[in-house]
Amino acid sequence: MRSLSINILVAGLTGMLLFTASCTPGSCFEETNSYVEASFYLESTGKLKAPDSLTLYGIGKDTARYKKARGVQPALIPLNASTEDCIFIIRINGVNDTMSFRYTSFPHLISKECGFTYYHSLDTVFSTKNIIDTILIRNHTVTTLNDQNLFIYY
Amino acid sequence: MTAQEQKNEEIQDSVTIPLKIRAGIEVSGPVIYFTDKNILNTEGNLSVDLNEKLGVFFGAGYSDYKYSQYNYEYLNKGIFFKAGIDYNLLKPQVSMGKYWAGIGIRYGISFFTSETPSFRHENYWGTTYSSLARETSMGHYIELSPGFRAELFRNFTIGWSISLRKLIYPGIKRDIRPIYFAGYGQGGGSVSAGIGYFISWNIPFKKIRVPIKQEEPEEPLDEEEEIPGNRTNTESQSLGGNRPVIRTR
Repeated sequence: MRSLSINILVAGLTGMLLFTASCTPGSCFEETNSYVEASFYLESTGKLKAPDSLTLYGIGKDTARYKKARGVQPALIPLNASTEDCIFIIRINGVNDTMSFRYTSFPHLISKECGFTYYHSLDTVFSTKNIIDTILIRNHTVTTLNDQNLFIYY
Repeated sequence: MTAQEQKNEEIQDSVTIPLKIRAGIEVSGPVIYFTDKNILNTEGNLSVDLNEKLGVFFGAGYSDYKYSQYNYEYLNKGIFFKAGIDYNLLKPQVSMGKYWAGIGIRYGISFFTSETPSFRHENYWGTTYSSLARETSMGHYIELSPGFRAELFRNFTIGWSISLRKLIYPGIKRDIRPIYFAGYGQGGGSVSAGIGYFISWNIPFKKIRVPIKQEEPEEPLDEEEEIPGNRTNTESQSLGGNRPVIRTR
């Protein structure tokens, strides 16, 4: 029994070493940015239809989120966590509109490996109506989980 | 049967088990702290044998956890308390009050403060720097703890146990749940696991005599039962004398 107990104690020690080794930090494989997920619909038919060309950029930003992109469905629109609103210029099939978002942001822990991101709660979305007909908010909470937030009819 | 024979039979059919109070500490936490100053776990426990199988367990500890990586820092410190029962799976004649191989089930409650001194987030709009203020919370969990311990020297026990914990409530709102908290460990998921090494000082307080269950020798099988596939219903055969008739031509 004494030798058995020593064997079991050694097995426990080995287990502890393996467990400690398994606790080394891992890598982040999850989505770390939350986006407003916007789907495009043709106003005339009410059917899902990606724009032939989509350009999207934020006011005050040098780079475009989408630049003459084809077949974007849905569009993933990032919000600025440092402010409570942000404005985008959206060009659908060569026609410009302005979209403005009002929202609140709150931090969210993704995981130990990935750290924190911001989730948002959409308050309102406005747009000019050069090509966009209507924008409907389907889901006010903007997360990293790919939930559909907006229907854009054009 | 004489009195001496009766006494001998009694000795053969029972075993004396000392019931003990054990005061122990977990030793791997301080050892790990020497190699990693970011995690300090200390734990002490007290267990009292109720009989040769069951014991009650009380534990308490302190944890101080620091973590940092390229995009955030995190601090958590707190205390925890655990209470539950231990069940010894060994037979009394094997354990003899010196060995324990079994499973414990515990309820744990943790009081902790967590803080994120800084975190950084990047997206299309640039980099956002922020922090989360210190917040005090209470979390609780259930723990299953299989393990083994043995008395190496007189009244001195050493052993280990695995801890499998199921989170009941992490204490903080859903979006900023604790990465780690006292007693539970890694708080990111709804289950956590750990392993602990314990040394204990034992105080025997009572001796009990526990009967040993003798394994009864199996009765030899009937002749009919020994024939595989022979499932003839003998009861129906005896009713009304309707036995199968063997006709010969």
